[in-house]
Amino acid sequence: MMILITGGSKCGKSSLAETLLNDISEQKYYLATMKPFGEEAQKAIIRHQKMRKEKNFITIEQYIDIDKIRIPAHSAVLLECMGNLCANEMFRDDTIFYPVEKIIRNLKSLYSATDMLVIVTNEVGMDGISYSAGTMQYLSAMAELNQNTAQMADTVIECVCGIPLVMKGEIPC
Amino acid sequence: MILVIGGVHAGKTEFVKNCFKLSDTEILEASETENFQNAKCLRNYHILIKKLCNENADFLEFTKRLIQENPDCIIITNEIGCGIVPIDQSERLWREACGKSACLLAEHAEKVIRMICGIPTVIKGECL
Repeated sequence: MMILITGGSKCGKSSLAETLLNDISEQKYYLATMKPFGEEAQKAIIRHQKMRKEKNFITIEQYIDIDKIRIPAHSAVLLECMGNLCANEMFRDDTIFYPVEKIIRNLKSLYSATDMLVIVTNEVGMDGISYSAGTMQYLSAMAELNQNTAQMADTVIECVCGIPLVMKGEIPC
Repeated sequence: MILVIGGVHAGKTEFVKNCFKLSDTEILEASETENFQNAKCLRNYHILIKKLCNENADFLEFTKRLIQENPDCIIITNEIGCGIVPIDQSERLWREACGKSACLLAEHAEKVIRMICGIPTVIKGECL
């Protein structure tokens, strides 16, 4: 099963994702895509690590090329998050790579190795601000990624101030 | 407590006025209200959060106090977290503070209403 969780900043996406995986008996992997640069990132990482403590997740840090991770069959994976993965794939070596096809291909490959894939993404296109060309390309890539992933996913949930709104499919019991 | 959340100019205040039969004077700017314990409705809660962030005040503690001391209040706030992560650190922290406060308010609210294009959707609690 594939579940996509979207929402704005600090809307409770991560804790919802972890709750959805509470009753999974298979080994759970946390696929972290955020590069640990700077104090805020460190804080966010520590907060997320604390949330996963005693929830039996094994953390794998993989900032690009998510198809390269090796996990046993029938595992459950929580990928957090698409926003970071997209930026990491896009802005490398002083160039802009349009990352949509690659990420979708890698997601499919990752999904084929799991029984349960929960993907946390972000709503980034609703502030009405015109940014530099690179950032506008990022917005475009995120929009395309979110739509493509939503099509593949069995369930799509938008999180609004901690409340899950089911946009597609249903929340598994 | 009732929480109304939505983007800028989504029709939140107008909706609250009509739905809960409030006059203009009963809908107070959260950031300019000292006596928040007696307010029927506080709007622009996100601006109050900005003020608290600027003063380095504990916005979650303040929000908890509001929930305890005025449990029937109607809170209107903007959703500001659905854009690009701001470059400016204070903007980033404000944005996150708004998200966390909204989660806390929603957790304690009996009803949460989300406004889009002037259309209210009850996302927590009984229908209107």
